[in-house]
Amino acid sequence: MGHRERAREFVADVDRTRWHDQALWFVRSKRDQAADLVPDWEALRDQASAIKRSALTELPELWREFEEHATAAGTVVHWARDAHEHNEIVAGLLRDRSVRHVVKSKSMLTEECGLNSYLEAEGIEVIDTDLGERIVQLRGEPPSHIVMPAIHLQRAEIGELFAKEMGSAPDLDDPTELTDVARRDLRDRFLKAEAGLTGINFAIAETGGFVVVTNEGNADLGTALPGLHIASVGLEKIIPQQKDLAPFLRLLARSATGQAITTYTSHFRGPRPRSTQELHVVIVDNGRSQLLGRPAFREALGCIRCGACLNTCPVYRRSGGHSYSATIPGPIGSVLETSRDPATHAELPHACSLCGSCTDVCPVRIPLHHQLLAWRGELALSGHHPAWRRFSLNLVAWLFVRPTMYRLLGRFARGIGRRLPPTLREDLLPAWTRQRHLPTIPKSSFRELYRERQRQPKRPRPQAQPRPRHERNG
Amino acid sequence: MRVALFVPCYIDQLRPGVGLAALDVLEAFGFDVVFPEAQTCCGQPFLTAGESRSAKSLFHHYLDVFEDFDQIVTLSGSCAATVRCQLPNHVPGSRAKAIASHTFEFCEFLVAHDVASRNLGHFPHRVGLHASCHALRELGLGTPSELRHLGRPDPARSLLSSIQGLQLVDLTRSDECCGFGGVFSVEEEAVSCRMGLDRLADHQLAGSEVITSTDISCLFQLQGLGAKSQASGAPGFEFRMLHVAELLAESLAGITSQSTATQQENGGLHGTS
Amino acid sequence: MVTAREEILERLERARPPAAARPAAMPEPSMPIDPMATLRDRLQDAGGSLQFATRSGWTEQIQWPVEATTLRHVYSSLNAMPGRGVGLSSKTNHDLADLDVCVLAAEFVVIENAAAWQRPGCLRERAAALLATHLIVVANATEIVATMHQAYARIAPSDASFGWFLCGPSKTADIEQSLVLGAHGPRTMSLILLSD
Repeated sequence: MGHRERAREFVADVDRTRWHDQALWFVRSKRDQAADLVPDWEALRDQASAIKRSALTELPELWREFEEHATAAGTVVHWARDAHEHNEIVAGLLRDRSVRHVVKSKSMLTEECGLNSYLEAEGIEVIDTDLGERIVQLRGEPPSHIVMPAIHLQRAEIGELFAKEMGSAPDLDDPTELTDVARRDLRDRFLKAEAGLTGINFAIAETGGFVVVTNEGNADLGTALPGLHIASVGLEKIIPQQKDLAPFLRLLARSATGQAITTYTSHFRGPRPRSTQELHVVIVDNGRSQLLGRPAFREALGCIRCGACLNTCPVYRRSGGHSYSATIPGPIGSVLETSRDPATHAELPHACSLCGSCTDVCPVRIPLHHQLLAWRGELALSGHHPAWRRFSLNLVAWLFVRPTMYRLLGRFARGIGRRLPPTLREDLLPAWTRQRHLPTIPKSSFRELYRERQRQPKRPRPQAQPRPRHERNG
Repeated sequence: MRVALFVPCYIDQLRPGVGLAALDVLEAFGFDVVFPEAQTCCGQPFLTAGESRSAKSLFHHYLDVFEDFDQIVTLSGSCAATVRCQLPNHVPGSRAKAIASHTFEFCEFLVAHDVASRNLGHFPHRVGLHASCHALRELGLGTPSELRHLGRPDPARSLLSSIQGLQLVDLTRSDECCGFGGVFSVEEEAVSCRMGLDRLADHQLAGSEVITSTDISCLFQLQGLGAKSQASGAPGFEFRMLHVAELLAESLAGITSQSTATQQENGGLHGTS
Repeated sequence: MVTAREEILERLERARPPAAARPAAMPEPSMPIDPMATLRDRLQDAGGSLQFATRSGWTEQIQWPVEATTLRHVYSSLNAMPGRGVGLSSKTNHDLADLDVCVLAAEFVVIENAAAWQRPGCLRERAAALLATHLIVVANATEIVATMHQAYARIAPSDASFGWFLCGPSKTADIEQSLVLGAHGPRTMSLILLSD
C-alpha cells in the first residue's frame, strides 16, 4: 500500500482530517507571525543557505577539523558508514559500561537507524524523553512529524494511553495534567539512567563542539545527570564556525513553531573537566555521501529539520505523517527518502500538488517542490513508473507536437464525449468523477470558433473608455 | 501593439469562451491579437508526470510557434510559469530564454500596460479570487501568505479592484492550493478532493458569489467538486466560476457596444455542470 | 582493512561538489528602539517574566515565584542569594530533585529572543537548573545585545566545555498544540535585570 491509499484512509475521517489540518495550519500561522518580527528574514535565509551550500563543498576538511578539536577537548569521535555500524557503536559503548537504562532525546537520525529496537534486542531499556516521542513510543508507532511527533493524536487518546501505561485516571484529558503525569513518570527514569543519547542540531568544525536545542529540557536532563553522553550526527550537520550558528538559530525555532528561540540551546564541547563524564560523538553517513553526489538533489542536505515544510504542505496536513510510511514525512521527507530508497518510495514525489509553499517557507531555501518534480523525471527514467502510464503519456505528447493530429484528436474526443450518456462518460474516468463532475464539453474548440470569428466582417473596434478622473482616486 | 495569444490546450478544448473573452478584452484595449494556429500545449502535463523528454518536444514546438513574437499572452498562470521558469532549464540557449521571457500571464500583461487604470466597467458582485499557486509562487504575481513581508503586487487583484461595484471577499486562507495539480488530481484523488472542498467551504464562509482565477484548471477542479457534492445532497456550493478574462469581458460588455452572447453559447461564461 | 573514517572521507571526497565560497557576514541588525519592551514581549511569549531591581537588595525587591520565606531548598550561584537545604549540601542528583528554586547568573541577554547566555560553573549547577521547580536568572541590565549575531561575537569559540542560552521555563506543546509550562524542568522562569 502506497501513500495514496494510506492518505485515502486518513481522509475518510473528515472531522479528524479537518482537525489535523487546522492544528498544523495554526503552527504555520505562528511561523508567519514570527517571521514578520524579523526585518532581515530573507537575508537570513540567504545567509543560511549560502553557509550550507559552501559547507557541502568542504565536508572532508570540516569533519577533520571537527574531529581534531573535539578530540583535544576530550570527546571520543566515532565514524559509522551505515545504520548498522552506528547502532553497533552505540550498543558497544553501552555494553562495555554495563548500561541497562538509557534516556534518549529526539533525534531523527536514530529513528532512521532504528536504534531503539537494536538496543532493546540487547536487553537495554531505551526511554524516549521528548513528550511526543514518549507518547508514540508507548503506542508502538513512529513519529508522524519531525518536530511534533504526536501531532496526529487527540488528547483523549493520550489520556487513555497514560491511564494504561502510567496508571493515571482514565478520563484525564487536560494537556497540563497529562503532561504532569508524564513528567513524574519520566523524572524517575532520568534519575535512574546510566547514559543519555541525543542528536545534534549543529556540529561546529572550528570548536569541535555541537549544539542541541529543545523546549522541554529533556536533552539537558538526559546529559547532565548520567555519566555517559552519546551524540549521533549525520554528515550534513556541520557548519564551519561558531558564529555561523547565529543565522541558523534565528531561523530554526521561528520556522519550526513560531518561537523566537527554544527554551534550551545547549553548546557542548567535550566532557566536563575534572568529572568522570564521557562524551562520544558518532558521525553517520548512511546514504548521505551518495546524496551529496547528486547535483539535482544535494541541496536537500542543508535541511535543519525545522518541519516548516510539513506544516505548510496542504497534502501533509490532510494525509498525516504516517501516510508517508517513512522516517521523515512531508516534502523534505519525500525528497530524502526517495533518494535513500527509490523503489519503496516512488509514490512520494507524486504526493504533491506542486503548490510550492514548502520552498517559500524553507529557512535554508531548499527548492523542495522543484526537487520533487525532478524526482518524478528520475523515477520515470529508472523504470519506477508503470509502463502503460509512460506509453500513453508519450503517445499523447507525440500527437500534441503535430498540430493537425492535436486538432483531430480534440475534435474526435469531444465528439465522443458529447455523444456518450453522461453516466457512462463519468464511469470511464472514475478517478476524476467519483467526487467531481466533468466540465461540460463544448461543441467547438477555441480554434474553430476563432476561425469563424475571423471570417465575420470586421466589427467596429469596441471602445474602452479612459476612466473618469474622479473615479480613479476612489 | 501586436500580441500573440497562447490558449492552453484545455481551454481550447473544454472552455473556448475564455479565449474569446480574452480576445475581446485585449482588442478593447487596442492590442492587435494574433492566434498562431500551430500552437498546442506548453508541455506542463508531461513535465509534472515525469516525462521530461516528451515535455521537451513540446517546449521545442512552443518555441517554433512563438518565435516571431515579442509579446506572448497566455491565459494560464500555470502554463506561463512552465514556459518562463521550466522551459529554459530544459532547452538551453538564448533563443529559448528570450521567447520564454516574452511570455506573460494575461493579468500580468494587462497591468504592465496600465490597463488597471482604465475604465473596466461594472461588476456588482462579491468575488473570491482563487490564487493560482504557479502565478503566485513561480511567476511571483502577488505575495504568498508565507512571504507576506515581501509585499509583491498582484496583477489579478489590481484589475479586479479597479472594477466598479466589484467587492473582493477576504478568505480565511488567501492562497491555499485547490488540489488540482495535474496528474495529482487523479493519482492522489482523496487528498486532492479534500483540498478542493476545503477551498469551497472557505469561499462559502466568505460569501463569494463568483470565484475567479487566472487559471481555469483550478476552477475545473472546484466547479466539478461543487456541482457533484450538490448533486449528492451535500451543502450547496453555488458559485459562478469565471476566468479573470471572462469576468473582465463581462464587466466591459456593459460599457462597450459589443455583446458577449456568443461566448455563452459556446460553453463559455457560466458554470454549467 | 579500510576504517569507516577513511572510507567515509573518501566517499565525501568523491562526491565533492564544485567549490562555493563561504558567504560574507551579513549586516548586523541594530538594537530595537525600546529594547526592554521587546525583551519583555519575547520573554512573555516564551512563558517567562521580566523583573527589574537594583543591585543592592534585589532579593528583597523582586517578586519570588513562591513566598521567599517558605523556600526550603535553594541552589544559588550568586553570593547575594545564599543557597539553603539540599542546594548547599547535596551529593546526589536525587537530592537536587527537591530544589524549590535555582538562581543563576547570566553573562548577557539577547534582546530579539530573550535568551540569556549562561555557563554553569559545574555539572551539578546544570542539573540544579533543570531539576528545580523555579528558575531565576540574574543579569546586569547593561549586558544586552540586539541579536544572536552580536551574541556570538561575545562568546569566544574556546569558551568552556558547556554553555547555554536559556529562555523561559521548560515547556511542551506535544499534546494537541496546547502550551504547557513545566515539561521536565522548571515550571517558571524569571529574568531579573539589575542596575545600580
